[in-house]
Amino acid sequence: MQNIWEYRDLIFIKGGLLTIEVGLGSLVIATLFGLLGAWAKLASNILLNTLAMGYTTIIRGIPDLVLMMIIFFEGQIFLNYSGEVLGLWGYVEISPLTAGIGTIGFIMGAYYTETFRGAFLSIPNGQIEAGIACGMSRALIFRRIIWPQLVRYALPSFTNNWLVQLKTTALVSIIGLQDIVYNANAIGRKLREPFTFLFAALLFYLVLTAVSEILLRSLEKKYSAGVRRV
Amino acid sequence: MDFSLISENYDFLLLGIVNTLSLVSLALLFGGLISVPLAILSADRHRVFGPIIWGYTYIFRGTPLLIQVYLIYYGLGQFEFIQNSVAWPILRSAWWCALIAFSLNTAAYTTEIFRGAIEATPLGEVEAAKACGMSRLTMMRRVILPSAFRRALPAYSNEVIFMLHGSVVASTISVIDILGAGRVINGKFYVFREGLYSAAVIYLALVVLITQGFQLWENHWHAHLRPRPTSTPLKAPKH
Amino acid sequence: MSQANATLVVEDIHKSFGAVEVLKGISLTAHKGDVVSILGSSGSGKSTFLRCINLLETPNSGIVSVNGEVIEMRSGKNGEPMAVNRKQVERLRTRLAMVFQSFNLWSHMTVLQNVIEAPIHVLGVPKAEATEQAKALLDKVGILERMDYYPAHLSGGQQQRVAIARALAMNPDVMLFDEPTSALDPELVGEVLKVMRDLADEGRTMLVVTHEMSFARDVSNKVMFLHQGRVEEEGDPQQMFSAPKTERFKGFLANTRT
Repeated sequence: MQNIWEYRDLIFIKGGLLTIEVGLGSLVIATLFGLLGAWAKLASNILLNTLAMGYTTIIRGIPDLVLMMIIFFEGQIFLNYSGEVLGLWGYVEISPLTAGIGTIGFIMGAYYTETFRGAFLSIPNGQIEAGIACGMSRALIFRRIIWPQLVRYALPSFTNNWLVQLKTTALVSIIGLQDIVYNANAIGRKLREPFTFLFAALLFYLVLTAVSEILLRSLEKKYSAGVRRV
Repeated sequence: MDFSLISENYDFLLLGIVNTLSLVSLALLFGGLISVPLAILSADRHRVFGPIIWGYTYIFRGTPLLIQVYLIYYGLGQFEFIQNSVAWPILRSAWWCALIAFSLNTAAYTTEIFRGAIEATPLGEVEAAKACGMSRLTMMRRVILPSAFRRALPAYSNEVIFMLHGSVVASTISVIDILGAGRVINGKFYVFREGLYSAAVIYLALVVLITQGFQLWENHWHAHLRPRPTSTPLKAPKH
Repeated sequence: MSQANATLVVEDIHKSFGAVEVLKGISLTAHKGDVVSILGSSGSGKSTFLRCINLLETPNSGIVSVNGEVIEMRSGKNGEPMAVNRKQVERLRTRLAMVFQSFNLWSHMTVLQNVIEAPIHVLGVPKAEATEQAKALLDKVGILERMDYYPAHLSGGQQQRVAIARALAMNPDVMLFDEPTSALDPELVGEVLKVMRDLADEGRTMLVVTHEMSFARDVSNKVMFLHQGRVEEEGDPQQMFSAPKTERFKGFLANTRT
């Protein structure tokens, strides 16, 4: 216990903040990929549909750690190759942080694709027709009718995905990022107190999960005004 | 990509497949066995066990599997009484530690899936069972659980896939699972594509197989939900 | 007629949900072969009364006895009544088969499996015997051809006939019908009423909560009219329908299609 207090900066501040950084950073990317994927799946364009299908199938088929390692290596190669071909940039090295945020974002994007697609399909078509019948423009319909309902229908699944994503961030410790898991494991084993330190990391995640859940569920409540609970 | 490297080292990959499949299927078996009584007790809102089970599932569902595996494999050795116990030979083995962590983890998720399915049993079907004079045990065994398992199947098939995905963390504690085998090949020959891509393809194939398997199972088990075209006209009640 | 040889005796049942007293002391005696129709507007407590008889709802006070055997009750921890012996309740429930408004067939079992389930797993009848009996019953309610179908593949009227066969398979002393035709489309009501009429003709003892006035008048030999948890009027159906004694029953008849 004493040792944990001594190493609190390294574990909770440095490691913990890195974990939160990876989580929130990848959330932004995953949401973008998710919206893009949902749009591609719902578009009436076969090429886009197939592309989106391939994206979600591959991600669902291959474990995240395997994908993370592949993207970590291949991303680096691809970036330098394209820089060479285009002549726009020289040798760049992707930092493990960028790679971690990027890959987790890319992976989770496939799950958010289903979230947004499902939410969009839940909006009764009649409501859009009612908007058209009122003479609303497409932009106005999206902003006033589709978007608020999209958020409402997407939130429960969004919450679940975020809780999964939060736990996925632990994997970045395997590709060498010094997040809370990496630090707790390294210091704990050095001091021969691995259980104590790893348990502290476990509690850290538990708190993040609980806080996220409370915040997102209260948001769900706010957005589901007027929805009859059955 | 050097395919001869893969074909010459197929025995590693085979070992990886055996390890992954045995870990995942045993974990699902043990997890499934643990989860049924837990789900029943927590659906029953048992005064003592209910909160305990809630705590257990919350901890295992709310934290990364990686930490759970580390805690059991690296963590338990911190305590002398565990090192001196008869279980130590098991708790020293990476394979067994992975199995224990996976079983506890999937049991927590499966408990939640089954609990939801049990609570969603139509009240009328339960009342009909009561009205027939069924005891609580018979009702659970014959009406509630069979219908709950059917309802849980789609969510459970997802859990199986997630367990397969999650099992890759075994490779981080030196178990030669599919990813572990790929990394061994990479390390041995100073390559990265051969091992990783082989692992990726094998996982993808397994996911496709599992998905197909569950599809068949669902088709069989969800016959009562599918529309059935009526061909023979039905006679009116007899006079 | 005395209570001594009655099949079912219910005495002074009281039932409250929270502060609302739904049943304020209802009694009923049924002998073998009696068909009792229980009428009343919604909220009169008629369904609750029926559910108190087989203890799907536990009455706050009162006595239920089947074939002279009294269901023993005591007050539980919060002063709420509960059955002393669950085994006794389970045994007596096998004597009181129930048909529900919403059929409540077990959706994961086929028609045949629904009918043989309780005989095999509650009464301990051998499977072959139960199957044979079930087929005869399904034939009787005219649904034998559909025995391998799942409930979801049947119309409401067909499902209710299966539910009646399921109740009959217990070979019960009394059959309780809880608004058996209320959830059906109008054109399907007839097929279910037909089956119920046949059962009455066979001499089955039946308690029927219903809105079907023609059934109450023509098939039953006794009618009970409940109003706000009390028996407002009861007696012989012909007399009650031709010359209602109370203003309330008169009003009820005037507002109901006959």
